[in-house]
Amino acid sequence: MRILKNIFSHLHIFVLWAMLSAMLWAWIFTFVTDTTPDKKVTVYCHVPEIKSTELAIRLEEDMPDGLKMIKVHSFDYVMFNIEAIDKGDIYIIPASETEQFADDLAGDGVKVYDCAEGTGIAKEFIGYGEEDYYLFLGAGSVHLEDGKALEVAEELLKIK
Amino acid sequence: MEEHITELYGEAELQGLRRSVKGWIAALCSVSAIALIACIVMAALTNTANADRMELAVIIVNIAVGWLVIYCGTFKAAVKKHELEHALMLGKEERTRIAGTPTVTDQRIVIRRSITARRVEVQGDGEVHRLLVCESRAKALEKAGAVAVYAAHGYIAAFER
Repeated sequence: MRILKNIFSHLHIFVLWAMLSAMLWAWIFTFVTDTTPDKKVTVYCHVPEIKSTELAIRLEEDMPDGLKMIKVHSFDYVMFNIEAIDKGDIYIIPASETEQFADDLAGDGVKVYDCAEGTGIAKEFIGYGEEDYYLFLGAGSVHLEDGKALEVAEELLKIK
Repeated sequence: MEEHITELYGEAELQGLRRSVKGWIAALCSVSAIALIACIVMAALTNTANADRMELAVIIVNIAVGWLVIYCGTFKAAVKKHELEHALMLGKEERTRIAGTPTVTDQRIVIRRSITARRVEVQGDGEVHRLLVCESRAKALEKAGAVAVYAAHGYIAAFER
């Protein structure tokens, strides 16, 4: 009873500590779980559903040497950081949207989902919409020259 | 009759309080350091697969240990520290001798985050003097069978048998 009384008399301090701890460690983890563009390959998927973490783990199993991590983001991520998408390494985009993102895409895309047949890559991780989808390398990718974006894209294409 | 004055906070009690304060501070610093190291290790062991769980675990450990340290620091260590300061103050201040038998009552005066005192009534010369004694020393006063007390700033500092 006395303990509860003591706690309630200082409840504001306990609540403040909880809020500050959560915010501080969440901020620290944004650095812990990220790295510089040259040490990661980032995949942006413009799809209705994506299991980002699971797909990243799968791609990291065969990660090219020199990379620390592979990040997979839904396009929703763009609403928090519009600049990040310009530097994406790999994009999976619906056919109807390719024009819109043409400046960010390098070369021709590879069809990764055929809507008519319902076949596509990594369906375990990616929930496609009602149209065809294409995979592109990013025009602003820092991994075009060293070939790591291509290596990860090839690994992605192997996932059934 | 030989006078026998006993300090409520003798050297042994002061040493005990000093040890207690140092012990609490050492314990709280150790717990904080261990928790911080654990959080840093967990952060270092974070990878794509366990990132969400690790972040949650680190936040929970940090909040829980923080609450423990805040609670013990505020309501245990600080209380002992204030009691030590109170005892040292009683040792330095000028005292008044009040003859009479002290009776420790059940009335408590709680000074938040500091000492808890008990009301003491000293009856002598047809007059009742209302004083205070720190709760941790109340039993010693009760058992002493005192015939007079020495008070400073309304607190009993010593007694005479």
